Amino acid sequence: MRIFKQNFTAAVQVARRALALVSIAAVFATPLSIDVGAQEKTKSKASRLSDAQRILHLLNRLGFGARPGDVERVKAMGVERYIEQQLNPGKISDALAESKVKDLSTLSMSTAQLYEKYPQPGQLIRQLQRRGDLPDDLAVARQNRGKASESQTPGQPASGASMMPEAMPRTATESNVSRADSVGAGRNNEEYRRIIRDYYLQNGLQQPQRITAELQASRILRAVYSERQLQEVLVDFWTNHFNVFAGKGADRWLLTSYDRDTIRPNTMGKFHDLLLATAQSPAMLFYLDNFQSASPNAPVGGNRRNRARARGESVLDSLSGGRRQERRMNRYPEMRPAQDPNMPQAPAQPPRRPRGINENYACELMELHTLGVDGGYTQKDVQEVARCFTGWTIFAPRGGGAAAMTLMGKGARENAGKFYFNARMHDEGEKTVLGQKIPAGGGMKDGLLVLDILARHPSTANFIAKKITRYFVQDNPPSALIDRVAAQFSKSNGDIRETLRAVFLSPEFDSPEAYRAKVKRPFELAISAIRTLGAETNGGPQLHQWIARMGEPLYLYQTPNGYSDTAESWVNTGGLLERLNFGLTLASNRIPGTRVDLKSLAGAVANGQAVDKASIMDRFLNLIVAGEISPRTRETLLKQLDQEVGPPIQPVAVEPASRADNMAGNNGNNIQPRQRRQQFVRADANITDPVTRIVGLILGSPEFQRQ
Amino acid sequence: MNRRFFLRSGGIALASIGVSLSAPSFLERALLAQTSDRLTGGRRKTLIAIFQRGAVDGLNMVVPHGERAYYDLRPAIAIPKPQPGNAEAALNLDSFFGLHPVLTPFKSLWDSKRLAIVNAVGSPDNTRSHFDAQDYMESATPGRKGTPDGWLNRYLQSKTDPTRSLFRAVSLTQTMPRILQGSATTLTISNLADFTIRAGRSSSSVQGGFEEIYDQSVNDVLSGTGKETFEAVNFLKKANPGQYQPENGAQYPRSPFGNSLFQIAQLIKAGVGLEVAFTDVGGWDTHVNQGNSRGQLANRLLDFSGGIGALTTDLGKLMDDVVILTMSEFGRTVRQNGNRGTDHGHANAMFVIGNNVRGGKVYGRWPGLKSEQLYEGRDLALTTDFRDVFGEVSRKHLGTPNVQAVFPGYNSSESKFLNFLS
Repeated sequence: MRIFKQNFTAAVQVARRALALVSIAAVFATPLSIDVGAQEKTKSKASRLSDAQRILHLLNRLGFGARPGDVERVKAMGVERYIEQQLNPGKISDALAESKVKDLSTLSMSTAQLYEKYPQPGQLIRQLQRRGDLPDDLAVARQNRGKASESQTPGQPASGASMMPEAMPRTATESNVSRADSVGAGRNNEEYRRIIRDYYLQNGLQQPQRITAELQASRILRAVYSERQLQEVLVDFWTNHFNVFAGKGADRWLLTSYDRDTIRPNTMGKFHDLLLATAQSPAMLFYLDNFQSASPNAPVGGNRRNRARARGESVLDSLSGGRRQERRMNRYPEMRPAQDPNMPQAPAQPPRRPRGINENYACELMELHTLGVDGGYTQKDVQEVARCFTGWTIFAPRGGGAAAMTLMGKGARENAGKFYFNARMHDEGEKTVLGQKIPAGGGMKDGLLVLDILARHPSTANFIAKKITRYFVQDNPPSALIDRVAAQFSKSNGDIRETLRAVFLSPEFDSPEAYRAKVKRPFELAISAIRTLGAETNGGPQLHQWIARMGEPLYLYQTPNGYSDTAESWVNTGGLLERLNFGLTLASNRIPGTRVDLKSLAGAVANGQAVDKASIMDRFLNLIVAGEISPRTRETLLKQLDQEVGPPIQPVAVEPASRADNMAGNNGNNIQPRQRRQQFVRADANITDPVTRIVGLILGSPEFQRQ
Repeated sequence: MNRRFFLRSGGIALASIGVSLSAPSFLERALLAQTSDRLTGGRRKTLIAIFQRGAVDGLNMVVPHGERAYYDLRPAIAIPKPQPGNAEAALNLDSFFGLHPVLTPFKSLWDSKRLAIVNAVGSPDNTRSHFDAQDYMESATPGRKGTPDGWLNRYLQSKTDPTRSLFRAVSLTQTMPRILQGSATTLTISNLADFTIRAGRSSSSVQGGFEEIYDQSVNDVLSGTGKETFEAVNFLKKANPGQYQPENGAQYPRSPFGNSLFQIAQLIKAGVGLEVAFTDVGGWDTHVNQGNSRGQLANRLLDFSGGIGALTTDLGKLMDDVVILTMSEFGRTVRQNGNRGTDHGHANAMFVIGNNVRGGKVYGRWPGLKSEQLYEGRDLALTTDFRDVFGEVSRKHLGTPNVQAVFPGYNSSESKFLNFLS
């Protein structure tokens, strides 16, 4: 045994040495006309990009990559004009993208409408019950549900699921379906789901999961089809900068407005306006808890709750009787007992976090939205800022119960889920923020003043400049560039358009050092692959599922820092494997709702003539990576063209849990189990022809992972 | 078994070197680690962390049958006191605590002193939101949401792995859980069989193509990762998870949770250098019709303990180097609610399982269930901060040199450890 081990080690060493020799030989023997890594490129190449490279670079950085013909269009138009055009998206007509999203009805709905049409089943039942409108069959089914079996209310995620909502792969382990469960109980739950499903159908209601799915689809569709490419890139950028997680409670309903009313109108305007819009967005107020933040001296609410808690009663119990309480609810709709979809099953809600100052928003506002962690503020500043934002809250943050709505009338209903300032929750004392006095009695002005101070602060200019240059230029942008861009930001009073122009027109932007220096994030990879092949997509969950598998499900990043923008976060074993599989699956047309037509792309060069395989391959190399690929990769691809297809696949050995179970969110969190299951069963690639194979390989090549 | 298996597969890898000229750096490192105790400092320790998402009712899982208030407050859902011959009754642990009757696998682990219980443990933050509480348990920074990484990842950062195993930390989930997020490399695999190039009939030739493409340009971060990826894929293929047979008559539940544990066992036995494994299991949010000795909580516990029991049986002697740690974001109300369920509470119970655990004992001071002893008048009070449990596992089992770095902002100290590990 021992001898064997030694032999093995020795053999490894020999092999390594041999490998080293071979690689050295290869380096000398291959006159690399085009290299792979950006670092090597800078050594062997001219100090400027060619015109074609510059255009490609623009299309990659200001947009989600080139579609067939885009390079020529920009060339005809001129680089500077293209930049100007993209900086003014309002002047670009965008009929195609708009037609693609027109069937996504939630996009144009108000938050109140979303609450009404896409209710959480558990919440809906409670409302019906309170109104005395609960249909008998539903009442019976609900009574039987869970008996001797599963715990989950349909539409009520297990908490694990509450962290990973719709259109997201569910961990196999989140499933609640235990095969040990009795058949009868399963039938009860199935019955319950069916009755709920029918009720939704009869009443024109839809599952709330659809809201996020449509929002995700809209992002995909616009990124693929919009002519306003820079606008879409900036939506991605700012959505991550001001990250909100769809899995947190009411944010599922609030994010549609966030995208439409908060982010999109402000992508290229004044930073201050964008900051203010996010500060007043219900999505952010909910996500970072500011909607609950109240002065400890706030006149009503707190004491009563505490008394109730001390008696071991739930707040709902103590509030549910008596007119006085109802009047109070009327005055303070945000103080209604929690209907948090995170914990909707409880008919009697447990008390929430005691009211008082909540510093979450104040903290992230300075650390992540403006100054940066080293931006020169103290914990005391965080506390003071938190005091300034007390009372910035949401009217009926979870849509409000039916009873509250009846009490408050129609006007109230329309305002559900909107920002409002509640002076009674506000801390009216004097504050000092970053050395600046904020006088007592300022009311809502306190928060506005804070935003002014932060937006104008030099640390903010520097922080935003660094983030923008890292996003658009390279992971480690030169400090001289950051300084120039920060200066432009300050000089223009935080004008994002001016700031971006300074980036795009800088020599660093289209320097060889920046060319293909960024590793695409999964969303960028998926969109650019679809665009480069001129594929068609409906942006559906099956495509989003791949983006999720590669690691970047939209609106589902949990923590407030948003998805990382540097290569080391994205280049890892698991993620890379899924990228390769994504390319193969796309090329072989196995993503439902997304279609590529490789035949016609290949045919465009064949032109009806018999052509050799190599020229078809070169056609795709030009299309996908602008022909910039190492000779060895080209050789490898050529070999692949001649490879035979393997024998028919053997059926996969039966796993302890079938794949369908693993992929389906069968934890009871759905009222259309069969449909969902189909939705999430992954179809793997099945490559049977050489062209598909090389396209899959090129999409998975290191070159295409970069932009 | 472990080492033999490795050498066998190592031999296969060696044979392939001559052909593809790909240096198996990952394999080589792992092999060196296996052959030289100097590099690993002995055997490799593994932690299996299991998250019961949804807040399990700890009071019906570890039953305080010595508490009168327990029976007073839970007339419909309490587990009866231990009683010989009564299958519905709690399994007696000591004169005060018992286990839910379906937890028979845990009872035998307890009897052989391989299972310890930490009771009245949890987060000092009083949130009763699943979202926030899970966040805090995974970041181990209660009250602070901005923490970018999870504590298991910070553990990985705190200690370099001489073998740089690609399988050092694996989550058997579909997405990377918060607890493992961070700068240290981790792997998320929902199904070992999927960890490969999937191109149907062309899979192997396509993989060969990718291997060649990624074998070039040595300085490129993508190529480096690509090479490692295929080493990992090929290594796992040789371990042949499809053919895996559990040992010692272990029978995993045919559930997703059982499947996850089954796959963790495969990884451990394959000797891939697994140090931290994570998986989660849902269904604990029992607001309605919770049941008592039978019912929905019982069904979940059956799956839970059946899976863990099978895992310990299957791993056998390997459990010398393994610790299984279970956690759940908060406990549930002591009093049953109007729907024969329980609502969100505060402190909870954790299980620590392993051959080197000082088992057969309930750790942590029991605060009592009388109304004046309850937290906010309704919940089991907290007497142990979860970071003291996580800290002890990080320090004494995994051997982090720096507990403080794993739990920033917390005064971690060995003096606060409960010493459930020797």
